[in-house]
Amino acid sequence: MKRFWQGGLVSLLLTVLLASAATVQAEELIVYSGRKDKFIKPLIEKFTAKTGIKVVLHSAKSTALLNKLRIEGNRTVADLFISNDAGNLQIGSQLDLFQPIKKDIINVIPENLKADDGTWVGLSARARVLVVNNKAKDLDFVKSVFDLADPRLKGRLGITHSSNGSFIAGVTVYELSTSKEKVMDWLKGMKENAGSKLFSKHSKIVKAVATGKKDIGLVNHYYIYRHLAKHPDAPIHILLPDQGKDGMGVAWNVAGIAMSKYTRKKQLAEKLIAYFVSEEGQKLFAGANSEYPTRVGVAAAPEVPAAGSYKVADVPMRALGTNRMKTLDLLDHVGMP
Amino acid sequence: MPATEYSLIEEPAWHLRIWQALVRKVGWLGLIATGIVAVAAVPLVFVIYSSSQLSLSGWQALWSERLPGLMWNTLSLAVLVAIGCFILGVSSAWFIARRHFVGRKLAIWLMILPLAIPTYVFAHIYTILFEEDGWIGSLWMSVFGDSVGIPDLYSIGGVTFILSIAGFSYVFLLVRSALEHSNPSLEEAARIQGLSPFAVFWRVNLPLLRPAIAAGLALVVLHVLSDFGAVSMLRYQTFTLSIYLQMNGRFDYQGAAGLSMVLVFLSFTFLIFERWSRSRQRYYASATQLRQTTLRKASNLEQCMIWLWLGLITLFAFVLPMIWMIDWTLEAIQQGVLDAVFWGYVSNSLIVAAAAATLAIIVAFPVAFFHTRKRSTLSTSYIQLSSIGFVLPGPVIALGVLSFILAVLSPLYGGLAALLMALVIRFLPLAVQSQEAALQHLTPSIEQAGRILGAGPLENLRRVVLPMISNGMIVAWVLVFIDALKELPATLILRPTGFDTLPVRIWIEASEESLELAAPAALMLVLGTLPALWLMMRKEKQTIINN
Repeated sequence: MKRFWQGGLVSLLLTVLLASAATVQAEELIVYSGRKDKFIKPLIEKFTAKTGIKVVLHSAKSTALLNKLRIEGNRTVADLFISNDAGNLQIGSQLDLFQPIKKDIINVIPENLKADDGTWVGLSARARVLVVNNKAKDLDFVKSVFDLADPRLKGRLGITHSSNGSFIAGVTVYELSTSKEKVMDWLKGMKENAGSKLFSKHSKIVKAVATGKKDIGLVNHYYIYRHLAKHPDAPIHILLPDQGKDGMGVAWNVAGIAMSKYTRKKQLAEKLIAYFVSEEGQKLFAGANSEYPTRVGVAAAPEVPAAGSYKVADVPMRALGTNRMKTLDLLDHVGMP
Repeated sequence: MPATEYSLIEEPAWHLRIWQALVRKVGWLGLIATGIVAVAAVPLVFVIYSSSQLSLSGWQALWSERLPGLMWNTLSLAVLVAIGCFILGVSSAWFIARRHFVGRKLAIWLMILPLAIPTYVFAHIYTILFEEDGWIGSLWMSVFGDSVGIPDLYSIGGVTFILSIAGFSYVFLLVRSALEHSNPSLEEAARIQGLSPFAVFWRVNLPLLRPAIAAGLALVVLHVLSDFGAVSMLRYQTFTLSIYLQMNGRFDYQGAAGLSMVLVFLSFTFLIFERWSRSRQRYYASATQLRQTTLRKASNLEQCMIWLWLGLITLFAFVLPMIWMIDWTLEAIQQGVLDAVFWGYVSNSLIVAAAAATLAIIVAFPVAFFHTRKRSTLSTSYIQLSSIGFVLPGPVIALGVLSFILAVLSPLYGGLAALLMALVIRFLPLAVQSQEAALQHLTPSIEQAGRILGAGPLENLRRVVLPMISNGMIVAWVLVFIDALKELPATLILRPTGFDTLPVRIWIEASEESLELAAPAALMLVLGTLPALWLMMRKEKQTIINN
């Protein structure tokens, strides 16, 4: 019994020690990150090697981290927030969680890929595209994402659950480019076509299309290249939807970074952002995942269709945040699983 | 008026008088218990407060749009998992408690080992195994070809499967212990009267086992209601997942709190019903006996059948996941990814779980002791309130604690305090219930004897009460340790910055589909639980012998 209590005391003591050790040191940045660790880590290691500034990554889902920032308010320890979704960044701005980043740093990034007030900036972009099986027949009519609602695709279409962030962002772009009614009909049609089997992950859609289980799928472009890197002979190709004169263009979304309103290390934080938007930082950040660097003049990976070579939907990224709730309501209304 | 004057003079002593009256009424023990229960109720207060902010139209929207579907999803899942756990748990317990066969001791272990694997690890592993190129998926394809699709785990059937193999051990443990305590003469009498073994089971065992089965299934159902890991990985909308999405997707705390209130109401109704049905079956408790049950030797055919069944259960509930974890861990070792950082996750997990378990049994003691000392409406309501951790989903507890600490104890924010508080609240019911059970063996006369012999209340506590319930306390510690080690949602929200534990890493790596990183973390989690399970089984054996 005695030993039992002693063990308890020791573990309590350890806890206290550890808790006090967790207090932050001076030359250290704390980043709440909603992006995959493995895409961020190489970049951060380089940054630390260059500047000597340590970076602590606190990883979780972007939405959960935003929630945490919101509840913590001025007691937050976070200096920076990284999200894979422009919608989350914009919502954070609207919740007044961020502060403007120095203009000189972010003026290398185009206006439509950052916040109005400079409270967040896009770092890498991805495109909503179609993945098609090379051997699939009777798919010539598919020119637009809206064609995915065509009854001819019944049982042949792969889409994710509507709780997927990229799916939601895509729907927002389509709604803003066309109309609510059109998007509602489209969702209903896709629901019919996809059947009960919705995918939990984009990578599984690409795999299903590659193995011929499905003929066509709606995914982010990099999942195609990730699959092709592993299976170079996979019989799939990319189809850029909604091109041509009247097409609305491909929907984009960006991953980006914001600076906490309550950071006490503004200068260090801006150093990190400056590195992320530098040419080297851009190559690493976007390159880790075959995405498009947002900085003008930095090219994406060679296998990816070059930015500028195709039409992109004319919707500013901040709209993904301002319209998020409307889109969620729309999805609920249609009963999209 | 003299009365006014009087009260004016006495004004400064006013709160003191209330205080003295309180101490007289409930005693120091009661006051300490009150304080503890008040802290444990923080998340409930948070939920009640937030849901009171919800407008009438907000409630109407919830009632008409969300609740019917959620109610159906959650309740049907609970019923199906209860059925699954009943079949798995009762059958395995009956074989093990009533037949003597080769490897019986091993079988006991195999039936409780699934407790070491968290539901989200089960879900993660089985979604991979059921893929077309996974072990089960490819086997399925080679047997059935393309004609029969591989079962879809992202469905109620899949979630039922996962939660049943993850939870049947609770039923097994309780039913086996009840069977070993039950009087064999009843069964023998029934056999002599000519009943078949199955009829004996149906007409004698089952009615007698009802309390144990009910208690086991109650545990299972509560786990289903509060499960976050498996349902979120399999995207099955129960209350817990829906509440989480409401908070994180829409930042709608009021809606989330409204849903939580409904869930709390559901769970409390269930708990009260369960307690009530048990209280009507008190006869069972007196049916214990001292005669050692002699186990019938199983015939060769029976041995085969028993092992076929138990083997099938353990294959899915333990062996297959273990082989998968070991396979990928070896891969990870070859890739050299198990570095110091990984061992940091291991020690973080152990520290948090040990600290939470220690704190939980310390704060649970006054509550349990208060209840066994003076059974009153007050103490019973304290016990009910302390079970709040079982009925509120982890994410909601975490948010309640977070808001509380930021508002009241903000200097403590940033360290482990918030996380530990949430874990203790979540698992307080486990600690309270097992200590309460242990304290019931303590007859008042023993305590009185100590007092008469001149021991003060504290000395009495230290030298008489605590040694007598130490076994119960160790079991309580172990139960909390295991659950705290596996805990995911609260840890995700409340861990200090950069402080990752094994569950957190599994969660992150699983969502990034890096199997070689998720597997060793899961394996370490299982290994970390094993000594605790061993300790618990040893203590359980001792209590059986002592009784």
